[in-house]
Formats: sequence, C-alpha cells, structure tokens
Amino acid sequence: MRLRSLVAIATLLLLAVVLQTTLFSRTRMFIPDLVMLVVIVVSLTRIKPEAVLSIAFLSGLMVDLLGSSVLGLRAIVFTVVAYLAYRTRDRADIGRIVTGLWTGLLTLGGVLLLIIVGTLFGQTVLLGEGVLGRLLFVPLTNLVLALIFTPLLVRIIDRDATALRYT
Amino acid sequence: MLNREPGARTLPTFITLLVMGLLLMTFDVRSEGGGVTGTLRTGAQTIVAPLQKAAAFVVNPVVNMIDSLSNVATLREQNIALQQELAEFEAALIAVDDDLARLEFYEQLYDLETSGTDIGRTVAQVIGRLRPDASDALIIDKGTSNGIAVGQPVIDTSGYVVGTVQQVTAGTAIIVPITVGPDAVAVIVGEQAGVVAPQVNTNEMRLEIFDAREPVFALDRVVTSSASVRFPAGYPVGEVTADAAPSVGALSTGVRPFVNVDALRVVVVLAWPPDPVTAVSEPESEETSTTSTIGSGSTTTSTTVGGG
Repeated sequence: MRLRSLVAIATLLLLAVVLQTTLFSRTRMFIPDLVMLVVIVVSLTRIKPEAVLSIAFLSGLMVDLLGSSVLGLRAIVFTVVAYLAYRTRDRADIGRIVTGLWTGLLTLGGVLLLIIVGTLFGQTVLLGEGVLGRLLFVPLTNLVLALIFTPLLVRIIDRDATALRYT
Repeated sequence: MLNREPGARTLPTFITLLVMGLLLMTFDVRSEGGGVTGTLRTGAQTIVAPLQKAAAFVVNPVVNMIDSLSNVATLREQNIALQQELAEFEAALIAVDDDLARLEFYEQLYDLETSGTDIGRTVAQVIGRLRPDASDALIIDKGTSNGIAVGQPVIDTSGYVVGTVQQVTAGTAIIVPITVGPDAVAVIVGEQAGVVAPQVNTNEMRLEIFDAREPVFALDRVVTSSASVRFPAGYPVGEVTADAAPSVGALSTGVRPFVNVDALRVVVVLAWPPDPVTAVSEPESEETSTTSTIGSGSTTTSTTVGGG
C-alpha cells in the first residue's frame, strides 16, 4: 500500500470520526456510520485484502477507544464487514445503485452484528431505545452516502481517475 | 505447497484479527475499563478532542440555525408558554426570597452556622455524542484541566440528574447518562429509600424499594438519596410512571427521568464528593458531612459512603 493511500485513508477515517461525533450526533434520522462506510469503501480499492482487514480492525479499535463500549467490539464488527465486503466486491462495482445497495446491506449486517456481539459481552446499551430505528436508518443513510461518495473516495484512495467508472 | 497468491492469506489474517478482537474484549471486560485500556482510551481521546472541539465550533451554529428555521412555526406558541412559565417562576422566586429572609432570621436567632463547603460546579458545553453506539454518551468540552474527575456527578441546568463522568482527558470528558447505566442510583421516594436502575430497550428506569412500607403513586418525585455514593442528596431524578403497592415487603415500578439527554446542550459537573481521594480510600459506611446548595438554600446533609 502506498504512503499516499495510507494518508488518504487515515485522513478520511479521522474526518469520519469527528463528523460522526459532532455533526451527526445532532441529527435524528440521518445517522450514518461513517467509519463503517469508509471501511466498506476501502474494500473496493486496489489495496491488498490483508491490509483492508487490518485497516478495518484498527478503525474499529479507534472508535472503541473513543467510545464507551467494550474495547474490540467494533474492531471485530468492522473486520467482519471488511471481509464480507472483500468476498462480495466483484458483485458491487457493476453500477452506482448496486454499490449503494451493497453498502446498505453490509451496513445492516454490521449493525446487526454489533447488537449481537455487544449483547453477548454485556453491552446492554446496544439494546437501548431505538434499536429498530438504528437498524433502519443507519444502513439507509450509508446507502445514500455510498451512492454519492463511493466513486469519488475510491478514486482519491487509489489516485486513479478512471476507478469505478461503472462502464 | 503454500499459495503465495494475493488473497491467500486473507482468511488467516481475518481469523487472527477476530481472535485478537475477542482477546481485547475479554481483557477489557475483565479489567473493567481500567489499566492499560483506560490509558489507551484517554490517549486517543486527548488526540481527537481538539478536532472535535473545532468541528463543534463550526457545526453547532449551523445545526442550531437549521433547527431554529425548522421550528419557526412553533416558536410563537413556545414564546407565550415561556412567558407564562416565567411569570410563575418569578412568583416562586418571590416566595423563595421570603423563605430565605425567614431562614436568615432564624439562623441569627439560634446562632447557626453552615458547615463544610459548597459543591463546586463546572458548566460545560456538550460538543458531541457517541452515536450510533446507542450508548448516547455525551462528550463535553471540559476535562481535568477544569477540575473534572472520573466518577463526578453531572446535572443539567435545571438541577436534574444526567449521569456521571466515565472518562476524562485534559480538555474533554465523556458522560454516561443514568438511563444507560451501568449502575443503579440510590434514591428516595417520599420517605422510602430504594434504587433506580436503567432498563434494556427503553429510556424509562426501574424503581426498586426492598423494604417498602407504603405504596408509591404516579408522578411521585424521585430524588437522589443521602445513601448514594454517586450523587449528592436531593437532586431530582424523575417521576414515578405508575402506582405500585408493596408486595412481600418489596415494590417495583417505572420511573421517567426528568432529563432529556437528546436535548442537552449544556451540563453542570459537580465536584462531589468534595474530597474524592478520601471518598475512594475510606471504607464502607463512612459518614461524611457535605454541604450542598440545592435550590435556594444551603443545607447540610449526612452522606453514607458505600452504598448505591
């Protein structure tokens, strides 16, 4: 992985964390999981799958460190999401809408896994009020954002203006 | 022969990371968030805190403006309601002034003096929330440099209980609301002592009174008890949602918290207990004397450290 790609991913992740905890903490319906979105987008780039998994793990760890949930919870969830994304990404880059739907489905899986693993480790807060809303709105919001931003982000990370042109 | 093609090491890497994650989770659960993981959390928050503050500085006015524009239709009605409320509070304030004058008179008459010190208060702005974690933990813009320490109680500007400080860095702190726990709060309803604990799937909390002698009724006020080690006595927590009568000496019912965590923009962190080192190191059932300024007057409360 090139240094420029690494810097781009690190910057995107930091931006995602800051926006997640400030701007999107004030919105009720528009609640994306920006870090998960970045992880999914990274799996569409030319970066090696092992590196993608490591990035996903470290991203989750970063969110865990900044949050109040148990350390490692999101690291596991994001790693699983990145692995699923890597295994299915060939089906995702055939069109913008498909990419959006694929991102939404992966996010739904991630949120479900977060709830299940979190509950197993006694994070009862994950079953707090609004679980159904989260299961609905987080994937939908990520879907919308993926529709708009995925090609741009992939091009920035790969530094390739022709990436994800959906020919 | 090992396959060295790209992707051949994906599954082993995936499994290794999963195992590492599970080990981390187990370690964090066993260490209860302290030790190395606690230090790591503080370090990470210290790094990100300036960015969050900068982002909040830019984002908050924009979001407030959008909120105001979307609520412009209801502002007129709110204004009228607030004017009525203001008139009621002004009347109440006059009554309180009378009570204060009377209290001062009696203090002079009986030569009374207040003991201890007032609880220090640090007003802090909510700069973010940890979502969609659903923990709804709040990030505030004050930290150890402002005298904030882990475990300190947090109230809102109306004096309603919000939660406690869970983590703190030099410039920020994370507040965990009482509605998501994890611990129960020792409270008093009328003259009966009990605990309120958070519940799964709802913002409503559960009130348990284990030596109930009389029923409690809907809208009964629930306030923090002097038996609490987490909160000073007398701070409002919420109100009972349904009538409940004692059954085999125990009583259980719902409590609706007064505070709306979603709407919080400013909170107040209380420097309580006044001497946290003593409070932590002293054995259970240690009697400490604290002076708290609740509402209008200064009251002396006897606090039992080590219960609830």
